[in-house]
Amino acid sequence: MRKDLVFGMAGSGGDGIVSAGDSLLQAASAEGYHGVMTKSFGSQIRGGESSCRVRISTDPVLNPGGNLDVAVALNWEDFLKFGAELPVAGTTVVIYEAATGVPENQIPLVGVTPLQVIAVPIAAMAKETAGTERAKNTVVLGLIAGWFGIGGEAVMKGISKKLAKKSQELVEANQKAFDAGVAFAKSHPLKADMTVVPSSSKGAVKLLTDGNDMCAAAALFAGCQFFGGYPITPSTEIMQFFTNHVWKYGGAVLQAEDEIAGIGAAVGASFAGKKSMTATSGPGLSLKSEMMGLASIAELPLVIVDVQRGGPSTGLPTKTEQSDLFAAAFSAHGDVIRPVLAPTSVADMFRTTVEAFNIAEYYQTPVIILSDQEIASRKETLDPIDTSTFKIINRLVPAGADLQDYKRFKQTENHISPISHPGMLGGTYLASGIEHVESGAPTNSGSVHQRMNDKRIKKLDPLKERKDLFEITGNPDAPLALVAWGSVAGVCREALQMAQAEGLDVKLMVPYLLYPVAEQTYRDFFASVQKGLVVEQSHLAQTFKVLRMHLDLPKGLQSLARSGANPFLPGEIVAALHHLLSELQRSHEGKLQPQE
Amino acid sequence: MSATMTTPGEFQAKDYKSDLKPIWCPGCGDYSVVQGIYRALAAVGRPPHEVAFISGIGCSSRIPGYTTAYGFNTVHGRALPIAQGIKLANPDLLVLAAGGDGDGFSIGGGHIAHLIRRNIDITYIVMDNQIYGLTKGQLSPTSQKGRTTCTSPYGSLENPVNPLLYVLAYGAGFVAQASPTDLAGMAATLEEAIRYPGFAFVNVQSPCVTYGEEAQQIKGLKAISESLSAIGHDPADRLAAMDLAQHYGEKLHLGVFYKNPEPPPTYDALIRERQAQLSQGALPKERILDLFIKK
Amino acid sequence: MAARIDFASLSLMDALDLAVLIEDEAKERYEEFAAQMDQHRTPDAAKFFRLMAVNEAKHGQELADRRSQLFGGVTPTVTRAMVFEVEAPDYDQARAFMSPRQAMKAALASEVKAHAFFVAALPSLKDAKVRALFEELRDEEVQHQALVKAELAKLPPDSGLSDDDFVDEPTAQ
Ligand SMILES: Cc1ncc(C[n+]2csc(CCOP(=O)(O)OP(=O)(O)O)c2C)c(N)n1
Ligand code: SF4
Ligand SMILES: [Mg+2]
Repeated sequence: MRKDLVFGMAGSGGDGIVSAGDSLLQAASAEGYHGVMTKSFGSQIRGGESSCRVRISTDPVLNPGGNLDVAVALNWEDFLKFGAELPVAGTTVVIYEAATGVPENQIPLVGVTPLQVIAVPIAAMAKETAGTERAKNTVVLGLIAGWFGIGGEAVMKGISKKLAKKSQELVEANQKAFDAGVAFAKSHPLKADMTVVPSSSKGAVKLLTDGNDMCAAAALFAGCQFFGGYPITPSTEIMQFFTNHVWKYGGAVLQAEDEIAGIGAAVGASFAGKKSMTATSGPGLSLKSEMMGLASIAELPLVIVDVQRGGPSTGLPTKTEQSDLFAAAFSAHGDVIRPVLAPTSVADMFRTTVEAFNIAEYYQTPVIILSDQEIASRKETLDPIDTSTFKIINRLVPAGADLQDYKRFKQTENHISPISHPGMLGGTYLASGIEHVESGAPTNSGSVHQRMNDKRIKKLDPLKERKDLFEITGNPDAPLALVAWGSVAGVCREALQMAQAEGLDVKLMVPYLLYPVAEQTYRDFFASVQKGLVVEQSHLAQTFKVLRMHLDLPKGLQSLARSGANPFLPGEIVAALHHLLSELQRSHEGKLQPQE
Repeated sequence: MSATMTTPGEFQAKDYKSDLKPIWCPGCGDYSVVQGIYRALAAVGRPPHEVAFISGIGCSSRIPGYTTAYGFNTVHGRALPIAQGIKLANPDLLVLAAGGDGDGFSIGGGHIAHLIRRNIDITYIVMDNQIYGLTKGQLSPTSQKGRTTCTSPYGSLENPVNPLLYVLAYGAGFVAQASPTDLAGMAATLEEAIRYPGFAFVNVQSPCVTYGEEAQQIKGLKAISESLSAIGHDPADRLAAMDLAQHYGEKLHLGVFYKNPEPPPTYDALIRERQAQLSQGALPKERILDLFIKK
Repeated sequence: MAARIDFASLSLMDALDLAVLIEDEAKERYEEFAAQMDQHRTPDAAKFFRLMAVNEAKHGQELADRRSQLFGGVTPTVTRAMVFEVEAPDYDQARAFMSPRQAMKAALASEVKAHAFFVAALPSLKDAKVRALFEELRDEEVQHQALVKAELAKLPPDSGLSDDDFVDEPTAQ
């Protein structure tokens, strides 16, 4: 029996394999399991290759998993297109469409001998039972229920609920296809028992959502009342969520004519006193940079979500990457610091988004949330979040004495000045992108410019003291270390557990605050470190370079970086740690031996 | 089999067809547009390598890759600025620009006015499907008011842009509309647009089978289409053209709305004139530093 | 647009040329549809569309042979611009994940359309030979319809289920 299973399935869009993954995850969550699902696609709008990865576990899931336990290939051509995204190993059970005509001992996977390979006449079974080959995905769900014990009842319950409105006939067709899958599995038992242990939390309430919807919902919770944006994959669902719901809270959303207008409208809404937000992906972030500069100098709160995809330019619109850190931290000209936060999962997207609004409002600054395609589109089961434990911070508005001779950009001890908004009596001021004195009146004085830059940069210093924006796990004095953020953090969390189980003395730092760089927090963390890895999906190793720019890194700290769409596997990170350890031991030995 | 039947001339439609396989959904109107372009280019007869085909981003913007011309699939909304740079850098090229309704009239909307007022000799083809195809069906600037999409779940509150009036108002010298309900007409209209010396705009109603509404599919379009020549419209009459263009969305007028009977000189031609003028008596390049000699 | 044809003054040579062009256009469209189906992993529909293309080509060749026997290499006066989708299915008849049944229905609709074209043209024809040719072509369309219907009848009964209930959503880019 297993506590954790990773499924990877691929086919063409017409095979409905992604819908099958959706049904599986929903069913698993109804049965009380934890789960994560990610999707990946080819470039056709319809009928290209599509795949999903579903991980189901009795324990909370840290990432979409490494090597597949179960691979499902509806045809090999599509499956192979996903390469490293769907890694098959010696522990994998491979299930594939018999109609591909490929013999079981000749499947086109080089260099691996899977645990077991089973050809199933999936299309034929679908045709025979449901009367249409399209029901292949339902047969697959039946096979999964039969072999792995997930979704026996819940899958069909979900499907019936979805289809009952359409026709009873359709429900019955699906039921037959599903039953055929179950029956096939029962009559062809696996060599090893791979059924999943029943979940102890069956019946407990679980949430099921993806990173984009979570982000939008969190924004509404945080009090966001305006969204201005422009559609761009993989961020569009955030705007869509707003178009459905923001009205209910007295807010508004604008699908603008382009990203510049989208962020512009959001800047305007913030000037008008409303919490506001925009969301985009790489190409849109590039367009927004001038407006981000404006929000910084005008000291307007604003949250900008950048759902990273492969870049530069149009790049890989449907694949994940972590290559926008430089752009998030440094784009837009001038001396400016813009806080950059990154969630690591759907679950902590809630907290990260609320935090982003709190920081934006408190410090009166644009804040960037660096999400990524994987977090944005992956579905996770979550335990309910107790929203009452979250504090909501609103901008400091002038009152009483402040409004006598109101100075919008007044120098204060913590460099934060009360901010009025149109409609507030006595609070009128000129907001501008030009340098200004305390009242807001334009100036070209060098000394004022120096002072105002000082104010705008220093007001953010306290952020660097926020230890709660960093997660440190493992032995605090460990000589080996990992640093990772965003969706890669989940892989490293699992790698940490595996490495510890193999006896390695290692720790992990996951920063939620990427910029400004909290130098002291890193120094403290690195104090014990002799060897380590900064793991990231960026060919340029942007994180490693940003850290190096701000502090002296331990000599043994190395970069493990590569381009997006080439996911890291926990196992390879553990292997890299072993390698580092042996280097470390060799260098110690080296010191003991006399030089020749 | 019927080689005698194809367009006379050195190039045939197939010479403009590349080996790339379109990513478009089966049934997408854009398949017909690319056919129309092959035929129009064959009729004009410029060799593929003298044609530069620029697009933005969108389903429709994939189109240059399906031709054998020099293609440039740029960024969203910026086909025109880049195309104009190409034309000014080498006015001898035949420059085509194309994209979607979102690409052209939303994010790129600001550029159109300026290409028109400069009268740069480019043919701009918008594949208008009243939707954002590539990003999965959001509201577009040409979507009808009230339309429900994934970003207007309660119905759109905005009035659509009228692409025809938009370009007519800015003074475009050639304005036409085409649709896959009449492919031969589309090819002829595109050919005329390409031959027009100056900025030419062709709005092609190109149905999106995946996110489009029923009324915008070919059957629906046929029901509301009307040939401008058949109703006796005089393409030299700009005011009459504007009058007819008002019916965008309710009627589908096909053919040429407006064609300036006396095309003014193009920007690229004026630039050449200026270059010729000023190069006379200019200092030779190798003596350029003489400019700094104090007299 | 087909309206550009002046049926009253159509000679037999023109009419034959026109018929060849019509078949030619249909053949090309079916080939294009077959390619779309290949590209979108819908092999059964692709196979059927390819079959249609071969049929149209065969028919076109017969007509072309007749034309050259009668008129040799005389330069034609009708052009491709005069025909539009007489027998070729409309562009939006193709669909993602078409079943063979849907593909056949699209073809059937086109044959019906072609039949209607010849029927509508008949009253305006002056030349008796042209009229005879058009009647022949009209009747052939009826035969084609019967052929497609026969193919349709060979299919197993329709499951009555819509593909949209099974396939994945389109992918955003
Ligand atoms: C700067 C930028 N913003 C947004 C996008 C995402 N995007 C790609 S195509 C598109 C709109 C597509 O609609 P349209 O231009 O009408 O073309 P269609 O797909 O309908 O042919 C959008 C919003 C992008 N690629 N770049
Ligand atoms: S989504 Fe619409 S516009 Fe895009 S390829 Fe498909 S049918 Fe064409
Ligand atoms: Mg569009």
